[in-house]
Amino acid sequence: MAAEAAFDFQEGGRAPILALRGDWTVDTIAHLEADLRQLADRLTPGAVIDVTQLERLDVAGAYLIDRTFRESPGGESARIALRGDHATAKRLLDAARKSAATPAPVPDRPQGLIGFLEIVGRAMAKIWSEIVETVSFLGETLVVLARLLLNPGRIRWVSVVHIMEVAGLNALPIVMLLSFFIGLVVAYLGARILGDFGASVFTVELVAFSMLREFAVVITAVLLAGRTNSAFTAEIGAMKMRQEIDAMQVIGIKPMEALVAPRVIAMLAMTPILTFAAMASGLFGGLLVTWAELGVSPAMYFQRISDAVPEQHFWVGMSKAPAFALALAVIGCKQGLSVGDDVASLGARVTTSVVQSIFMIILLDAVFALWFLEMDW
Amino acid sequence: MNADIAIQVRGLVTQFGAQIVHDGLDLDVRRGEILGVVGPSGCGKSVLLREIVGLQEVSAGDISFPYFDATGLAPRLGVMFQDGALFSNLTVLENVEAPLREHTRLTPALRGEIAALKLAMAGLGPEAHHKKPAQISGGMRKRAAVARALALDPELLFLDEPTAGLDPIAAANFDEMTRELAQSLGLTVFLVTHDLDTLHAICDRVAVLYGGKVAALGTIPAITANASGWVNDYFSGPRGRAAGRGVAGG
Repeated sequence: MAAEAAFDFQEGGRAPILALRGDWTVDTIAHLEADLRQLADRLTPGAVIDVTQLERLDVAGAYLIDRTFRESPGGESARIALRGDHATAKRLLDAARKSAATPAPVPDRPQGLIGFLEIVGRAMAKIWSEIVETVSFLGETLVVLARLLLNPGRIRWVSVVHIMEVAGLNALPIVMLLSFFIGLVVAYLGARILGDFGASVFTVELVAFSMLREFAVVITAVLLAGRTNSAFTAEIGAMKMRQEIDAMQVIGIKPMEALVAPRVIAMLAMTPILTFAAMASGLFGGLLVTWAELGVSPAMYFQRISDAVPEQHFWVGMSKAPAFALALAVIGCKQGLSVGDDVASLGARVTTSVVQSIFMIILLDAVFALWFLEMDW
Repeated sequence: MNADIAIQVRGLVTQFGAQIVHDGLDLDVRRGEILGVVGPSGCGKSVLLREIVGLQEVSAGDISFPYFDATGLAPRLGVMFQDGALFSNLTVLENVEAPLREHTRLTPALRGEIAALKLAMAGLGPEAHHKKPAQISGGMRKRAAVARALALDPELLFLDEPTAGLDPIAAANFDEMTRELAQSLGLTVFLVTHDLDTLHAICDRVAVLYGGKVAALGTIPAITANASGWVNDYFSGPRGRAAGRGVAGG
C-alpha cells in the first residue's frame, strides 16, 4: 500500500537537509503543503534534499518540492542538490522545474451595479435579436413553403410522413388521455358550482364550450411544445454540431427544404387531427361525469350539445390549430439551427425552444380570444 | 510471470453478434515502452484499447497488469480519446483540474498549479487556460486532452489516434511531446495510430492487428524484414517507404 508522505528537516550542519520519506504522489501530498510553505524561508541556498528514504514520486510531488525551493531565499533559480539514489527523482524534479506554471488569472467580469446593468442590457439585446431572428426565420419558412406549394414534387414526402408518425400519431394517446382528464375536471367543477345556483344542467354547455373553444387545442399545443418541439431542436441541433447541416449545404441540399419544411408540413397536418381527438376525448370525460353525477344520459348529453352549442365554437377551436402548429415548428427548427458547436448551447437551445413555444401558444391564444370576441364569434 | 510486463492480454475474444473482432489475441506491453498499434480500419484497435481500460466487456480471454499486480497497486490509467472528449462546459484548466478535484484533497491553489504544470508539459500556455474547448483549435484540444490524461500521473497512457487531423508540423511536435513525456515521466504508452510517421519517429515496438490476432510484433525493421501480405503492403506501400526514408534521412 501507499506509504505516508513525510519529511524531516535538519539545520545546524553545513547546509539544511530536507529528508523525504514515503510516497510523494498526488494522493499523498495534500497535508504537506502548509508545512512546506513555512519551511521555505529556512531553506537557505545550498540546501540538500535527501531522497534515500523516498519511495514513489510523481510529477505532483516533484512540483511541490520544486515550488518550495523556488519560494526559498534562493528564489526562482534555487538549485536543488540531491543526496542518495532515487530512480526518478532527478528526472521528475527537472521536468517539474522546466514546465512550472501558474494558472492564468480569471478574466474579470464587471461587478456590482455596472455588472448588473451589463447583464440586463445584454439580456435585452439578446431578446430583441432573438425576436428579429425568429420573425425572419418565419418569413423564410413561409417563402420556402410557398415555393414548395408551386412545385409539390420537391416536397420530401417520406420525411413528412415519418415526422407525422413520430411527432403526431405517437402523441395521440397522451393528448387524448390528458384532455379526457381535463374534461372530467371541468365537468366536476361545473356540476359543483353551477349546482349551487340550481343550474347544474348547464354543465354540458360549460364542458362543450371550454373544450371546443380553448382547452383541446391549447392542451394539444402545450404537449406538442414539450414533446415534439424539444425533439426538433435536439435533432437539428445535434446535426448542426456534427456538421451534418454544413455537409447538406455543400452537397446542395437546402436545410430549409430538407429539414424545416417537412416538419412544418407534418405539424400543420397533425395538429388539427390531434386537436379533434382531444376535443372528442374531453367531451367524453364530461359525458362520464354528467352521467354519473347529474344523471344526464349520453343521448341527452349529445342532444343538448347539438341544440345549445353552435357549430362555430368547434371551428373557433380548430382554426387555432394550424397557427399553433406553425409557431411550434418554426420555433423548434429555428432553435435547432441556432445551436453552436458545444453541448451547453444544445441544452440552452432546447430549453429556449420549449419556453418560447409555450409562451407563443398562450400569447397567440390571447390574441385569438380578443379577435373572436370583437368579431362576436 | 514476467514482472516487467505492464499489460498482458491472453486469448482475447471479442464478438459483436456474428462479427468476430478479436479471435484469440495475445499481446504483451512492456513497462516503459511506447507501443504503436496499427491495423486496417475496423480491425479492433480502438476496441482493444477500450477493453484494456475497462470501458468494454471482453467476450472471452484475460487482460491483466502483471507488473502492477506484483507491486499490489492498481495501475493508474490515463486515456486520451480521439477527439479529446474534453468536457465542453468547463474551461481547459478546469478540465485538467477535474480528475484532481475528484480524487485528491489538494488545496484549490495547488490543484490549479498542478493543472497548469500539466498543461505546460503538454505545450499549452496560460493564454488557453480560461478558454472553453470549443474556442481552441483541434491541435490544442488534443494537447489539453493529454494534459487531462496525465492529471493524476498515470503509469499507463493510452492515446487513440493522437495525430489524426493535425497538420504535419503539429503532428511532429505532438510526437516529440509524447516521447519527451514518456521519457521524463517513465510512462508506458499504448498508442493506436494510422500515422506511419508517428510509428517511425517514436514507437519502440509496433503491434500489427490483422485477422483478429497480432499478426506481427517488434521493431519496424524487424517487422518489415519478414513481412508478407497486409503487413508488407502497409509498411512497404508508397507511404510506408516515404515515412521510413524520412526518419532514416533525418
